[in-house]
Amino acid sequence: MGRNRWFLPLAASVGFLFLYAPILSLVIFSFNANRLVTVWSGFSTQAYADLWADPQLLPATWLSLQIAAVSATIALVLGTLCAVALVRFRRFRGKTVLQATVSAPLVMPDVITGIALLLLFVTMQSLIGWPQGRGVLTIILAHSTFCTAYVTVVVQSRLADFDMSLEEAAMDLGASPVRVFFDITLPIIAPALVSGWLLAFTLSLDDLVIASFVSGPGSSTLPMIIFSKVRLGVAPEVNALATIIIGVVASGVVLATIYGLRQSAREKQA
Amino acid sequence: MAKKPQLAADTRPWRDPAAKPFVRIRNVTKKFGDVAAVDDLSLDIYKGELFCLLGGSGSGKSTLLRMLAGFEVPTSGSIEIDGQDMSNVAPYNRPINMMFQSYALFPHMTVWNNIAYGLKRDHMPKAEIAARVDELLKLVKLDAYGERKPHQLSGGQRQRVALARALAKRPKLLLLDEPLGALDKKLREETQFELVKIQETLGVTFIVVTHDQEEAMSLATRIGVMNQGEIAMVGEPTEIYEFPNSRFVANFIGSANMVEGVVTEDEPDHVRINSAELGTDIYVDHGVDCSPEQILWWAIRPEKMVLTRDRPAAQPGIPDGANIVKGYVEDIAYLGDMTVYQVRLENGRYIRVTKTNALRGDPNAISWDEPVWVSWDGHSGSVLTN
Amino acid sequence: MTRAAPPPSQGRLAWLRRALAAVGLSGRGLVIAAPAAWLTLFFLVPLGVVFGISLATKEFGQPPYSDLLTTEDGTVQLTLHLSNYIRIFTDPSNIYINAFLSSIRIAAVSTVFAILIGYPMAYAIARAPDRWRNILLMLVILPFWTSFLLRVYALSGFLRGEGVINNTLAVFGLGPFTMMQTDFAVYVGIVYSYLPFFILPLYTNLVKLDPSLLEASADLGARPIRTFFSITLPLSMPGVIAGSMLVFIPAIGEFVIPSLLGGPGTQMIGRILWDEFFSKTNWPRAAALAISMLVIVVIPIMLMQRAQNAVVEGRR
Repeated sequence: MGRNRWFLPLAASVGFLFLYAPILSLVIFSFNANRLVTVWSGFSTQAYADLWADPQLLPATWLSLQIAAVSATIALVLGTLCAVALVRFRRFRGKTVLQATVSAPLVMPDVITGIALLLLFVTMQSLIGWPQGRGVLTIILAHSTFCTAYVTVVVQSRLADFDMSLEEAAMDLGASPVRVFFDITLPIIAPALVSGWLLAFTLSLDDLVIASFVSGPGSSTLPMIIFSKVRLGVAPEVNALATIIIGVVASGVVLATIYGLRQSAREKQA
Repeated sequence: MAKKPQLAADTRPWRDPAAKPFVRIRNVTKKFGDVAAVDDLSLDIYKGELFCLLGGSGSGKSTLLRMLAGFEVPTSGSIEIDGQDMSNVAPYNRPINMMFQSYALFPHMTVWNNIAYGLKRDHMPKAEIAARVDELLKLVKLDAYGERKPHQLSGGQRQRVALARALAKRPKLLLLDEPLGALDKKLREETQFELVKIQETLGVTFIVVTHDQEEAMSLATRIGVMNQGEIAMVGEPTEIYEFPNSRFVANFIGSANMVEGVVTEDEPDHVRINSAELGTDIYVDHGVDCSPEQILWWAIRPEKMVLTRDRPAAQPGIPDGANIVKGYVEDIAYLGDMTVYQVRLENGRYIRVTKTNALRGDPNAISWDEPVWVSWDGHSGSVLTN
Repeated sequence: MTRAAPPPSQGRLAWLRRALAAVGLSGRGLVIAAPAAWLTLFFLVPLGVVFGISLATKEFGQPPYSDLLTTEDGTVQLTLHLSNYIRIFTDPSNIYINAFLSSIRIAAVSTVFAILIGYPMAYAIARAPDRWRNILLMLVILPFWTSFLLRVYALSGFLRGEGVINNTLAVFGLGPFTMMQTDFAVYVGIVYSYLPFFILPLYTNLVKLDPSLLEASADLGARPIRTFFSITLPLSMPGVIAGSMLVFIPAIGEFVIPSLLGGPGTQMIGRILWDEFFSKTNWPRAAALAISMLVIVVIPIMLMQRAQNAVVEGRR
């Protein structure tokens, strides 16, 4: 065991260093006075002022947040329905097809999804005149579709672990099926719905490739703006934005993890 | 240990052919695909009974319970409770409650709210709900635990919450699915008595599903032994143990030495069976429904046989050479209260005999490799024809 | 004292109950139909459309491809062109074939690196004390929640000529090394981006491994290294396979990483498809590339399914 004692912690430390060092350096250099970003020349919040003054970044952030919220909500509804159908309905025609179709977007390369949806929208427009042109609507349709797959996976695993006797017990005590759903099922799967929605929101907010295919003029999302900026080299205002995003997400994930750990500790005891 | 009959023997409702059963199960079959989990089963259960459905896994006992609760619909047959046909009644409209094997306590509700849940569904006034829940918490000795969540309770406490929740609506019939299965041995024995006490106090009819025969014996007024979706035997605990009606029941309940034999004398007051397997004749001092030359089985409990060093004198009424066989002790298991002897007969077959250790540290106890005689009374064994 | 069961046809809310039952029946259908219709329209049909357009040819106009169905003298004619597929294999510069091959090579090399880095991490987390395990796990998942694009950008700041690594090395009088715009940078980028996807399924597998198996192996005289190779590694293969696929499959179609970290020589198929579509506006060719890529991606998925089924069967 002697070798393991130092090898494993060392390997894990190197791995975590690899995962976090670039992010940390990006955060640190967002406060750099030097516009060259990677050469430290003193503390400054100039990059944040640049971000605030940037004509594109903030509007694009707002647009992306809206798209992500709407897409995540649609995906939550569709994904939950899909998960219920796959877990709760014993057998129906096309169950395997539905299962395969809903998991396929998980492994589909973004470029394929993007080109496929764009060609669909173009074809639909020439056939039935809808959707008219491409923009926010087509991005939302595209994002809802691939996010549905992720929501389904999350909710499906929660439903599969669900102790059916809880619902039976409620019914046994006089609750009608609708009542059972709102009193028992919904509160218990709520954490999965929340994490499913958040996952969908994050994925939508993060998507560059699919949005690039299906967006139109005037509907550039945040990743598209960032990509066009960083393609040309370093951009201090992007560092500033990244720091804000990472800060928000990290505190959210830490809080959610603490909450989730408490929840699961409870359930383990229950 | 068996539940004290509250009623005189002659008023036990199941012994009264005119009594009206409270639960009537008529020719119920439940098929899952092609497999019949419950197969053409009929059973009557009377008011105030503590009825145990006893069987191994896959015997259909849980399916039967779930059909009573309404979670499964019988493929055919009917279930009547208190004279009312249950076929079209949804689980949430049945005057029945169930205590689940996993307890199924709602994890997101406090103990108090768990117990109050069913009462709220009945739209009972708030004050009455509060009074009822407090009363139940007292009944199961959890007065101080109302505000806890299920995960903050021990296994035994959860079991009692589940019981209180199931009793809250004062159901006419309570179904209990392995109510003591998740408790450890010591707690289980204590809880058995409490369960019987609560049942007697409230006068509710209990139907308990269990795979544990000791539990069934100690709780039940009557036991229904289930095998492969059918009721193998229904009877009071003593009947099931002392007078099994089939080889399955004799083997399933307790332990039994069972041998095959052929009828050589069939008289109204006695039967004589020759058993090559046992290497001797069996004399049974009462009449049996059989015919000469019929092949049948004879079973005897290990504690009903007597083990001696010297050949005992022939008993009055039993012909010489019957009900006695020679062997030698091959193995001994000392269990404290009694000792189990594994006796090898001359024809090579083993039988099991138990002896109560009435004398402390008996220096004269029968030991390994001793030649012994095994004998028994004319009414100690059961003749089984199926 | 006991509530009598109301007959199903009576009671004050009977009409509602009946209505709910009626809705419940069709409701079940609705639960299936809504997501099924959506996924059919926005996932299955588009793949069919891509296939259709991959059989057209580029034309100037809006949309920039030929019609498959044309009407001539009152008869409908179906015109299918295989030229796009033929071109993929016969292009004189071999640009497409090379892009496919280098995509597979880059994805495979990156997967190997992910295994070498990720396995010890997953193993360390699975063997960590309980209170540490969840924190470490969160640290693995955390980057996944932050923007993928921004993380690749952060990495580029790390690797570039005057980046953090070279600045640090310069302190020791080493370098500078050219790392950006090389295949190496793409490997690093893929491992960096997809490492959490490798670790998670492997961790799930390793944490379920019964520690008494390792004790039994030690008890029978195997040293820890021997135990690892004869017990832990074989039993964790399903996790390794699942994790590898989660790195390999998306890496094949990757666009962002080769664009931001790779050099002009790093021709991955996702990037070629992007250029074909946006720069050359050759939609039919891009569609044909998408279909070809799909085939290449589907094969490893099927192999993985088979491998996993085999493992499951073997366990029975």
